[in-house]
Amino acid sequence: MAPDPHIPAEVVCEDLAKTFADGTEVLRPLSVTLPSGGTTALVGPSGCGKSTLLRMIAGLEPPSAGSLRIGGAPPRALLKQAGLSMAFQDPSLLPWRSVRGNIELALKLARRPAAPQAVDDLIRLVGLDGFAGARPATLSGGMRQRAAIARAMVTEPRLLLLDEPFGAVDELTRRQLAEDLPRTWEPRQTTTLLVTHSITEAVMLSDRILVFSPRPATLVADIAVDLPRPRRAALTTDPAFLGLAEQVAAALAEGVAGANRPWAAQ
Amino acid sequence: MTAAATAHRPGRHTARRWQAAAGLLLLLLGWEYAGRALSGAFILAAPSEVLAWTWQNAGLMGRAMGETLGNAVLGFVYGNAAAVLLASVALLWPRTEALIGGLALLVFCLPLVATGPILRVLMGPGDGPQIALAALAVYYTTLVPLLVGLRAAPSSWFDLVRSYGRGRGAELVHVRAMAALPYLFAGLQIAAPAAILGAMVGEFTGAERGLGVLTIRAMRALDVPATWALASVSAAVAILAYAGVGWLGRRLSTAPPPVLLAPPAVAGRRGGGALVQGLGVAVLALLLWWGAMEAFGLNRFFAKRPGDVWAALVTAPDAAVTRATLAVALRETAAYVLPGYLAGLAMGLGLAVALVLLPALAAVAMPVAVALRSVPIVTTAPLFVMLLGRGAVGTVVLVAVMVFFPTFVACAQGLSRAPGQANDLFDSYAAGRLSRLIHLRLPAMLPAFFAAARMSVPAAVLAVTVVEWLATGRGMGSLMAMSASLSDYDMLWSTVVVVSVLSAACYLAVGGVERRVLAVYAPEQGAR
Repeated sequence: MAPDPHIPAEVVCEDLAKTFADGTEVLRPLSVTLPSGGTTALVGPSGCGKSTLLRMIAGLEPPSAGSLRIGGAPPRALLKQAGLSMAFQDPSLLPWRSVRGNIELALKLARRPAAPQAVDDLIRLVGLDGFAGARPATLSGGMRQRAAIARAMVTEPRLLLLDEPFGAVDELTRRQLAEDLPRTWEPRQTTTLLVTHSITEAVMLSDRILVFSPRPATLVADIAVDLPRPRRAALTTDPAFLGLAEQVAAALAEGVAGANRPWAAQ
Repeated sequence: MTAAATAHRPGRHTARRWQAAAGLLLLLLGWEYAGRALSGAFILAAPSEVLAWTWQNAGLMGRAMGETLGNAVLGFVYGNAAAVLLASVALLWPRTEALIGGLALLVFCLPLVATGPILRVLMGPGDGPQIALAALAVYYTTLVPLLVGLRAAPSSWFDLVRSYGRGRGAELVHVRAMAALPYLFAGLQIAAPAAILGAMVGEFTGAERGLGVLTIRAMRALDVPATWALASVSAAVAILAYAGVGWLGRRLSTAPPPVLLAPPAVAGRRGGGALVQGLGVAVLALLLWWGAMEAFGLNRFFAKRPGDVWAALVTAPDAAVTRATLAVALRETAAYVLPGYLAGLAMGLGLAVALVLLPALAAVAMPVAVALRSVPIVTTAPLFVMLLGRGAVGTVVLVAVMVFFPTFVACAQGLSRAPGQANDLFDSYAAGRLSRLIHLRLPAMLPAFFAAARMSVPAAVLAVTVVEWLATGRGMGSLMAMSASLSDYDMLWSTVVVVSVLSAACYLAVGGVERRVLAVYAPEQGAR
């Protein structure tokens, strides 16, 4: 059954696992349900398999075992409807297109009508005013990443996948984006999945944080973030925020120690 | 400041242009002086004599050039269309890429000197052979970079397209076509002068009109100014074609990649896979050869089938004599081509390295070398024969020059390809030119060097067979010419088969060395 295009997507993983062809086990069986409309952060050490999980949910990587349903259907169905958007670790901007051209490309690929006003609004939202006509080669790493975020959001997807979207963005812009971006996806109740290395970012943006161990990834902790919205930068000094951040950090450390890695003792 | 930054300073650009102009002027003055000094020796015509002859024979030259260019353009179009078609098939059905690559290489290794007379008897006296040879001369140099270019985009660009539920069509339109554009133009740029070369070699083999016909006549009449004028004009046209396609490519490729990947040495398999692949290519080639001859119902007297060549080489009563004749000719050719090929590689590499250590000289030498690279050297073979005689020296030098220019330009460009950040690292340690050369630039140059070494194999074979055919009276080129004139088609077809297979084997051998070296020094380029 094809998912209803007007209902935000619920993601259901049942014993989802991934082992690459060379025998590398990336993800141990994972069973989790991500309710529609929520924002979930995936946190874990580098190389633990978070991005692979995201790629499986995007339908770009087949799982080795288990099942994955998005809005009650396999990921392929949502993909066919162009109902999801992904911002990759690498901004992946096409170098022969301008910032505007790259954002408009998403609309073309999703077979949506041109939306000049929406494109302008997003360019402004990500702080690229005056750079709409610029080619990626002339932009800084952070500016490219912001353009890629705008591209991911322009199709108003039902499922938004963000793979370390703020990795190359400077601290001030990162804080600003963490405040501004949720305002675009919250009213639409977009189901959002975010891979990040920043505990602060995870707590600031999400309703729920899944903490993973080093590879092969196993779920170490599932932490609910019940802080009020909209969230402002000032919230980062709030005791409740700090308590949650501490909880995530402890879960991460526990995951590393559990994996019995040489650096776990440090 | 990095090299890239200095290169973009407008003042530097102007200075370099002046230096290049000064270099060209010096070259012309030296040529004029030498031409006058040797005026009685019948070997060299001064630029003033070349200009005078061209002016006096402008009408003849214009008509011949029109004929040659017309054939070259048609061959360019057909050859490149075939390259685009083959690349598209390989893209749509990736399993066919190894077969297509192997077959294309085998056809590229056909010795034009022998293919020309065969096409002449198959296609008759018109323009067909010239156009076919021009097409054969260009399709491979376009196909190889195009195959790379169509896959040259990062995987995340394809993920982006697929994440919107789109398939191969959208990938081709939005990603591959644009990403392949710089690669396509890199191929087309090399193809432009190669088409002129192919058309002229076709004219050498018995056409009625064209620059190649005039060249043969001038050479036989020992008309030194005419020979030099014809070589100079064909070289100038080739340089203009090379520059023109380059300009168009720069206009259309608005975002070229910082480095063009070295083309892979034919779809890479090893061990048993390579054997199966080789057998597949051989069977397909034999089937196509036999099928084409049968489909057109061509006369067996001159249109030999694989079985006829097998008989001539193995089962016929005089097969041993045929094999012995071929072996003698092969040894003679190998004695010319190997030293020439190795000397060309060594000189190209050596000069490129020398210019890194003496950058002031590079500003003068590089533009001249880039211009000369686009000259189809084989069309100037008569000049080498005049200057150096009909013996071994002239042949070895021509082969060396044929290999030298592409190797030199590729190495010089490769040496400047060191990544900016690595350059900055060496700057931070105030490293000297020599240590930067050894630790940074030479490893960065290796892919370009090996690509040039590989592509130079068939070029060296072409050079040696042309000069043997035109001048020395020895080796495979001479055997091809003799067989053609005596209508000994068994021998002519046998030379085609033997030379093509050996050229392809040498090409693959250089590719094998390349793969091993790149696996260590440039794994991202060695990988497919």
